[in-house]
Amino acid sequence: MSAILHIVEHDFRNFFRYKWWLVGLISMNLSDLFIMAIVYNQMLSSVVMEEIGSYFNFFAPGLAVTGLFASAFMIGREVNMERRREVHHYMLSLPMTRMELAIGRVLSGGLRGMIYMSPLLLTCFIFLGFPTVWQLLVILAVLFLLAVGISGLSIAIAVSTSSLEKFITARGLVYYTLFFCSSVFYPLSLIEGLGRDGKFPAILVTLAEVNPLSGASDMIRSFLLPGYPPFSYASILNVVVFSAVFTFSAAFAYIKIIERK
Amino acid sequence: MRAIWFVSQIALFGLIASRMMSVPNYFQYYVAGLSVMTLYSAAIFIGFDIYEEAEHGVFEYLLSLPVSRKQLVLGRSIGGGLRAFIYVGPLIALSLYVIGAINPLSFLVALFALFLFSFGVSGMSITIAVIIKSSDRFDILMGVLDALIVRLSTAMYPLAVVQAANPLYGGLASFNPVTYAADLFRWGTGIETMTLSNPLWPLLGIIAFFAFFTFVGVIIYDRRIEGGGWQ
Repeated sequence: MSAILHIVEHDFRNFFRYKWWLVGLISMNLSDLFIMAIVYNQMLSSVVMEEIGSYFNFFAPGLAVTGLFASAFMIGREVNMERRREVHHYMLSLPMTRMELAIGRVLSGGLRGMIYMSPLLLTCFIFLGFPTVWQLLVILAVLFLLAVGISGLSIAIAVSTSSLEKFITARGLVYYTLFFCSSVFYPLSLIEGLGRDGKFPAILVTLAEVNPLSGASDMIRSFLLPGYPPFSYASILNVVVFSAVFTFSAAFAYIKIIERK
Repeated sequence: MRAIWFVSQIALFGLIASRMMSVPNYFQYYVAGLSVMTLYSAAIFIGFDIYEEAEHGVFEYLLSLPVSRKQLVLGRSIGGGLRAFIYVGPLIALSLYVIGAINPLSFLVALFALFLFSFGVSGMSITIAVIIKSSDRFDILMGVLDALIVRLSTAMYPLAVVQAANPLYGGLASFNPVTYAADLFRWGTGIETMTLSNPLWPLLGIIAFFAFFTFVGVIIYDRRIEGGGWQ
């Protein structure tokens, strides 16, 4: 356990080396909320307005999830850089098991995501209202699982790609597919409507429905926005399955691939 | 990465978000704005090159060349703008395909304005890079500036809507080079002929932006370039 904590400490020190960069990133996220969302509020069609009420309120939980995703994904860049610069040999020489090393990396990526996301989530609570204690615990637990799953996904991509360009390209594909095929920016009913009209591939509609980003965003909304969308256990299940799959596959990939010459 | 971002913005975000909006033809409107946003972020990149050159000692080599400082900064600014334009060219072509029919004469004027916009953004990036002389601070500042300058413009939404949402945002968006470039590009492609009756004002805005960051940039570059201090 102490070995895992050492790895977490190592990754946190790296994370806070870029504190000004993080401040810049948070200000960008907040400008999305306080500029883009406020302007979009004026442009919504009456049908969507009736469904979600206000775009600002709709987008605030999605923004917290977006911030969580981006920051938890950052661990992958570091792991990829370590692999390219062969720092992983040093990591492998540390007095700990491979499993402890892998779990430490996945866990620290997830915790970093939670730290980064917390001011965005707090902003969301300030404007939308605070949840009850139990709802807050559920939100934090689900977001933590999501962050760990994202961290695992980014590590799995990082160790499977040999160059920075390939990592960035793979990251871009995953980022934008998961972001835009989700209910982070728009209600799921819109994507489903496009699918029914034949204007959006069915596979992407299904992806949006099972996307853990949709699940986490809609879960927060169900607690904070009265009546929209209804709370669903399926959305939590999606996050749990995503987290379990990517945590274990990342740990396995990290252990196996990092030992290769 | 930028190409993936661009295509996914069109095929996923643009398509779905256009369903959500009451603005007519929002999809075409958004695609045109996206081209300008991409051009802006590509032209900004010249500033990062300057830090890389300073880090590898190429800067001193450039200073030793038999060209004046003015020629150097003007060349960098135009080169950076042109490079961005070539890079974003296929993406603009894709957006033109999505948008549809154009008036050739209007489009040429809009294209010329985009050239000037691209040179101006490169000049701005170079000016800020040589003033700050710290790659970390530059990275942060450009990130924040990018967030504000793009969101407080008409790249994603019409000016009337921005003004209705918040008069302060509307005021800032009215004096934003991204607004001028986006409005002119839409005018050139026939999207905004209804709302932009006179393209002269945004064209003058773009020319002023280009002139300021190219010629003021030359003076600042000239003063700040010597003496090292790069971080």
